[in-house]
Amino acid sequence: MIMACDQLDTLLPEFFDGTLTAEQEAAAADHLATCTDCRTVVSELEGVGSLYRTHGRQKLPNDASERIREALGLNES
Amino acid sequence: MTVVISRVAARPHTSPRAVPSVAMDNSPATTKPAISVAVLFDQFADGVYTLGYRILGDRHLAEDVVQETFIKVMRSLDTYRGDGPIAAWLYRIGYREAIAATRKRRETPLDPDEMLEAGDRPVTSVEDVVLAAELTRRLDAAIARLAEPLRSAFVLRDIEQLSTAEVAQALDISESAAKMRLARARQALRVDLKEYLA
Repeated sequence: MIMACDQLDTLLPEFFDGTLTAEQEAAAADHLATCTDCRTVVSELEGVGSLYRTHGRQKLPNDASERIREALGLNES
Repeated sequence: MTVVISRVAARPHTSPRAVPSVAMDNSPATTKPAISVAVLFDQFADGVYTLGYRILGDRHLAEDVVQETFIKVMRSLDTYRGDGPIAAWLYRIGYREAIAATRKRRETPLDPDEMLEAGDRPVTSVEDVVLAAELTRRLDAAIARLAEPLRSAFVLRDIEQLSTAEVAQALDISESAAKMRLARARQALRVDLKEYLA
């Protein structure tokens, strides 16, 4: 199976979810091995998630966490 | 019978964070799930806070979303039958709370400066402070420019690392719609943040 750039583009959600069929997976790998543009796109799309996981996740402040725990009765033994 | 609920595996680069599984007792004698709200709070409070903050752009309102979400979790945990991912069930409650909060107040654009002020991350030098602040500001501004449906899907899938199926359940949309929102969100952020992705 020969995969074109637009075909890979269509399958990117499944590609990132790891839910491509074996045949699609092989075709995507073949395509990425030869297509610099698509390798760049995939790398950058992966990078977006990585950036936000590293720098964009929020932590509930400790004082708020304690206050909510108290309100929910989670601190009671 | 003990059922262990765990996150769905994904590609290595988006693999779920190591989170404790939630064990529940589904034995006929005790139909009430043996899930501790305290355990759920430990596991999901930051995620619900992240979702609320990204939707509302306000830390205090996001804290309220966390509290209201877990009050509802506490009240309705008995109705959770264990027939689907608990993350999707819980984030669905959180998402509804956050959307309800947006309707209670006048919509205001996210303020990157406010986000920056509260973005307390460990840094080691003045240069680090400047670089971290700039990156945080750019990430906050870029995600704030996404339409809410795209933003919520992106937060749940790519930051909180739910599976696409769980995202669909949490947002009460089809899986194909979730995929479409994710693709659009990722593409928009890729274009917006290109200088950081080289």
